[in-house]
Amino acid sequence: MLSVRGLDAGYGRAQVLFGVDLDVADDSVVCVMGRNGVGKSTLLNTVTGLITPMAGQVVFDGHDITRRPAHARVRAGIGYVPQGHESFAPLTVAENLNVAWEAAGRGPRTLIDDALELFPRLVPLLGRNAGVLSGGQAQQLAIARALVSNPRLLILDEPTEGIQPSIVAEIEEAIATLHDRGIAVLLVEQYLDVALRLAHTVTVLDAGAVVHSAAREELSEERVRALLAI
Amino acid sequence: MDAILNQVPIGIAIGAVLLLAALGLNFTFGQMGVINMAHGEFMMVGAYTAFVTHAWFDLNPDYALLLAVPAAFALTGLLGLALEAGVIRHFYGRPLDTLLLTFGVGLVLQQIARDVFGAPNVDVPAPAWLAGGVDVLGIRLHHARLFILALAVLCVVAIAYYLNRSRPGRQMRAVLHNRDLAAITGIPTRRVDATTFFLGSGLAGIAGVALTLIGPTGPTLGHNYIVDAFLVVVVGGLGQLRGTILAALALGLLNAFSEFWTDASLAKVIVFVAIIGFLQARPQGMFTVRSRALT
Ligand SMILES: Nc1ncnc2c1ncn2[C@@H]1O[C@H](COP(=O)(O)OP(=O)(O)O)[C@@H](O)[C@H]1O
Ligand SMILES: [Mg+2]
Repeated sequence: MLSVRGLDAGYGRAQVLFGVDLDVADDSVVCVMGRNGVGKSTLLNTVTGLITPMAGQVVFDGHDITRRPAHARVRAGIGYVPQGHESFAPLTVAENLNVAWEAAGRGPRTLIDDALELFPRLVPLLGRNAGVLSGGQAQQLAIARALVSNPRLLILDEPTEGIQPSIVAEIEEAIATLHDRGIAVLLVEQYLDVALRLAHTVTVLDAGAVVHSAAREELSEERVRALLAI
Repeated sequence: MDAILNQVPIGIAIGAVLLLAALGLNFTFGQMGVINMAHGEFMMVGAYTAFVTHAWFDLNPDYALLLAVPAAFALTGLLGLALEAGVIRHFYGRPLDTLLLTFGVGLVLQQIARDVFGAPNVDVPAPAWLAGGVDVLGIRLHHARLFILALAVLCVVAIAYYLNRSRPGRQMRAVLHNRDLAAITGIPTRRVDATTFFLGSGLAGIAGVALTLIGPTGPTLGHNYIVDAFLVVVVGGLGQLRGTILAALALGLLNAFSEFWTDASLAKVIVFVAIIGFLQARPQGMFTVRSRALT
């Protein structure tokens, strides 16, 4: 479904990623791990079109999307939940979902109902400004907003970071549910236990390059722990 | 005393024109951060549009003005689109370059106006139905000034509706709040930028049409209003609809009163001093800006 080849990317002249290869097969969950600052978010930002790579290729569903603008990738079927559970703060929760649903411009109206069914905590908050939500609620809104565009690949950057523990479990469960529904998932996750529960493949980045990549069954937990320095 | 009170409607009319100009700037400057120095010349183009409706097309002044409003909106809106696509788009994040380039574009537009219409002011006849006025509590309210006020109110209501109730308005608020988040939400941010510029510039055209009712129409007409309009946006608080309205009225009244007591250029100095004093006390404008959206 997603295939990244030889990706070099960075900010201005500062290169962050060096020849990254990454594959997400249909129907699979891939987890990218690595210490802070190794380039995980940069990788996701490049895949979703926020950053234009210096070299390399991003192929989605057999189409080279390396040069396509970010909004076109959403329409192509890539949903993105960036790090930091941001929302359109001046818009209400309902408007946040509406604006995303309208922008993707193709899905049935039931997509919004489905997303709210997955995150029922959002229902009583629909009329509130998104700016007043707690971290956990905001993260659920961020995931819901990605879902209403009807993605076939959902990309999440540290969805459990800085979220109250009661909601972390709900978010993990939601990701598992979405995968069961046939959505492929590319996930950046700091917690090894969460990663091991969700992922089919774990890829470890260090200093902007892939240093380890293995299917869950073949994964050497010690090796990963050593690479993550935990 | 009566003479002073009679300055109030003049001040409000000036304030309403400033508001129309500032509403446009609110889109392009307040929200997109683009300093478009040609905004004043867009007002000038709007004013000449009103002139052209009767001078070239020989329309009856009684309804030419009503046609001039949408025509000026469309014309200056398209000019804004062209400016955004041809110049400004290539200089996002470079405010000084943008300022100088759009200043140059403004000068070019002035020169074109001189070549086409001549350097002297032209006469734009007001419709007969705007000639009279009503007396309220001893204050003379000219129909023309009431019309300008109504036009400004109509534009404010339309903008508020657009931003809060329509799909492109929602997209605009989303882009203005967080461009990257909007892009990965599927919103075509470039197209939204273009729309923002179209609307902002179009409002300058409407302001220009209104100006023909209270002042002379000439190639440098925009010149006299551009600085005041920027001041309104800054004092009102970037991107704040309510603040912009109050700031425009305050500046309009200030202009009208100080012009009454002193001469025009001294009035400008007084206004500037008042505003510098105000910004010293409240650097964030009249209202605290919580977000960059118009609310
Ligand atoms: N907007 C930016 N501009 C410049 N450098 C950045 C920017 N964002 C991140 N970086 C740098 O790029 C490197 C990788 O960052 P990031 O991809 O966010 O790491 P991770 O998500 O793995 O923690 C870091 O050294 C960081 O300082
Ligand atoms: Mg990160």
